[in-house]
Amino acid sequence: MTNIPLLEAQNITKSFSGELVLRDVSFSLHQHQVLSILGRSGSGKTTLLKILAGLLREDSGEISLSRKRMNETPPNKRNIVYLYQDALLFPHLNVFENVAFGLRLRKISVEQLKAQVNHLLDEIGLKEHATKMPNQLSGGQRQRVSFARALVINPKVLLLDEPFGALDADTRAQMQQLFKKVAARYQLTAVFITHDLKEALTMGDHIGKIENGALRLYHSPQDFFNDHTNGAQAEAEFWDQFTKERQ
Amino acid sequence: MTRKIALIFYILFAAVPVVCGLFYAIFYSLGLTGILSDGLTLSHWEQTLSSSTFYKSIGYSLFIALVVMTISIVLALWITISWLQDLKKGILSYMIYLPLAFPAIVMAFFSFQLLSKSGFLSRVAHSMGVINQLQQFPDWINDAYGVGIIFSLCLLITPFFIILFSNLYHNERIPALAHLAATLGASQNQIVWRVVIPVLLKKSAFTIFLFVLFVMGTYEIPLLLGRQDPSMLSVLIIQKLQKFNLADIPQAYTMAVIYVIIIGTVVAILFYGKPQFFKNSAQ
Amino acid sequence: MIKRICQLFFAISIFFAIGFLVVISLGGNWTYPALLPATVSLDNWRVMLISDSSLWKAFLQSMLISLTVAAVTTTAAFVTSKHIAHSKYRSQLLLLSYIPYVLSPVIIAATLHFFFIYSQLSGTIVGVMLAQFFIAYPFGVIILNNFWNPRMRSIEELALTLGSSSWSTWYKVLLPISKNALLLCFFQTFLVSWFEFGLTNLIGVGSVQTLTVRVFSFINEANIFYAAIASCLLILPPMLLIWLNKRYIFNTQTLI
Repeated sequence: MTNIPLLEAQNITKSFSGELVLRDVSFSLHQHQVLSILGRSGSGKTTLLKILAGLLREDSGEISLSRKRMNETPPNKRNIVYLYQDALLFPHLNVFENVAFGLRLRKISVEQLKAQVNHLLDEIGLKEHATKMPNQLSGGQRQRVSFARALVINPKVLLLDEPFGALDADTRAQMQQLFKKVAARYQLTAVFITHDLKEALTMGDHIGKIENGALRLYHSPQDFFNDHTNGAQAEAEFWDQFTKERQ
Repeated sequence: MTRKIALIFYILFAAVPVVCGLFYAIFYSLGLTGILSDGLTLSHWEQTLSSSTFYKSIGYSLFIALVVMTISIVLALWITISWLQDLKKGILSYMIYLPLAFPAIVMAFFSFQLLSKSGFLSRVAHSMGVINQLQQFPDWINDAYGVGIIFSLCLLITPFFIILFSNLYHNERIPALAHLAATLGASQNQIVWRVVIPVLLKKSAFTIFLFVLFVMGTYEIPLLLGRQDPSMLSVLIIQKLQKFNLADIPQAYTMAVIYVIIIGTVVAILFYGKPQFFKNSAQ
Repeated sequence: MIKRICQLFFAISIFFAIGFLVVISLGGNWTYPALLPATVSLDNWRVMLISDSSLWKAFLQSMLISLTVAAVTTTAAFVTSKHIAHSKYRSQLLLLSYIPYVLSPVIIAATLHFFFIYSQLSGTIVGVMLAQFFIAYPFGVIILNNFWNPRMRSIEELALTLGSSSWSTWYKVLLPISKNALLLCFFQTFLVSWFEFGLTNLIGVGSVQTLTVRVFSFINEANIFYAAIASCLLILPPMLLIWLNKRYIFNTQTLI
């Protein structure tokens, strides 16, 4: 790992009709690392991700990728993929074509395209569903396809906005496992936003919290735990009472 | 940039013509343009506002619109609620769309052939011995109450509302609401009167409002089936415009301007007084 | 049981309306109080469609006008409705779209007639098309407006982050997804144009003889048999469209 961060944001500020949504947000993310950010709805998390993806323009601040200023780069040239809570599969394309979407834009050879897409479908366990249409899939399957669709173009950074928020507990746990596995295998660099304490701790190499438009970064999981405003301590105390009772 | 061009294009084609037309009508009504114009005058306005023709026509148009909408909505509600399952599939689900293939002018022609003194119903009544001669058949065409007009408009509008209501029925999850009401102790009748009908009417309020205005301005049906006095507004204005008496033209434009002002005021009051009305249902 | 009878009555009355027009169009010599015309034959149709080509001409001319208006309207509405839907002033802008219906097309035509005469478009096909566009275009915007919901915007943004240019996003994502909405818009605006009478008659000043104008003039000439033929020709294409596209039309809640 080099010491140059891959993604860097400095003093990002954004307001909508006079209301400050992001204030001086700064962080840096090294290659192959996952930053998970805890954030509730209305905290400014989606605005931050959209600015990083180039879908919204910041009012001020700097964004750079491998030390190259990105502020003016349009979203389709950034190679940063933004994934929503909703899988948003293209309804007119089947599973295979959804995954192949980004590769077709890049005009690579058909054999290569097929190989790459099939490989990824295999990886996410949906190879036998390749010809199905999105409406024939379950929620978890759709989210997997959406994931594969992003991975196949080998993005520099993946931005995930509560990707498992709409899934039931079991599927959610499976998807977390899958993400961990794939993140390690493909050496992903990602920003993962969630409102789930445990998910934030499990998924990220680093942890931050966004609240009222301000981002706070923690040095370690312990540091995160010590901040009583996160609710981690209260949670621990809750379960702790049963441990004590048993003893 | 593209957005600006798109919005300019939209305003240019959706609003500018109406505004230009309105200004032309205002100029004409004030004697500032037109064949017989000889300078600024309020006489056309005075004439229009002091004669009863215009008020009668507005009142008549509103009367027809309210009667037509009431009949159509009651019929459509009744059909939707009692035939719900049959409207979803089978032959009826196709049939309900067929009346939409009738343009207003054909509907007017059909109604005329059906309801006039020498029309089909009169012939049926004659052959059944109910009447002995043509004159005994009631006046349903070109009559004072606009029976023919109302009949024709109801034929056009009811199917549309049946489709609208049965759409809303499913989109607004009324079956689920009805089940909920039943578990809360509502009887079948109470469900219909306290849940189904209020939800349908509330959700379609904006469309109903638009249709009232739409019917008030309708042209070809009253043109063929209405009488001269009172006549519906569009017919009155166009007749005055196309008459040989050139002095009537400024009056026609005056009426058009007043009509636009009335409708504009009503819409503006609603838009600013009850913006939710537009947001909820303008879809 | 009563419900079944009502439904049967309902179905019969719809078929009656169509059948009634067909019978009149085939009829001749229909004096009072005979229930049906004394003669029923294809003579009227033969005369109107073979010997006298003017009705064919009206049919084709109406078709040309309506197809052009629908195609231009759908294209223009598709591109512009997106920007309207995403605009801050969405509800104010949409309000403009209701103007032609609220104020009656024929009254708008009356106030605009001077401009059409001035620009020498009055009495021309292009003039009629333009006037109908003024009515159909806002209607198209109303129909397509709902298509541009937040979800569609997210899909568009996702395509962009996957590397798609804005042109390929239109071409490869938005256009295919909107196929049904576009078809619906095309059919509905086609019907607006196909059904239009007052405005067409006023701007066309008798020189542009569409089918609706022909129906009106036959009625005025008291030629009910020919009026019925023209009426049949008028309801035939929409019936075909409605039959084919029932499920698309099912999703709209807008004006006829």
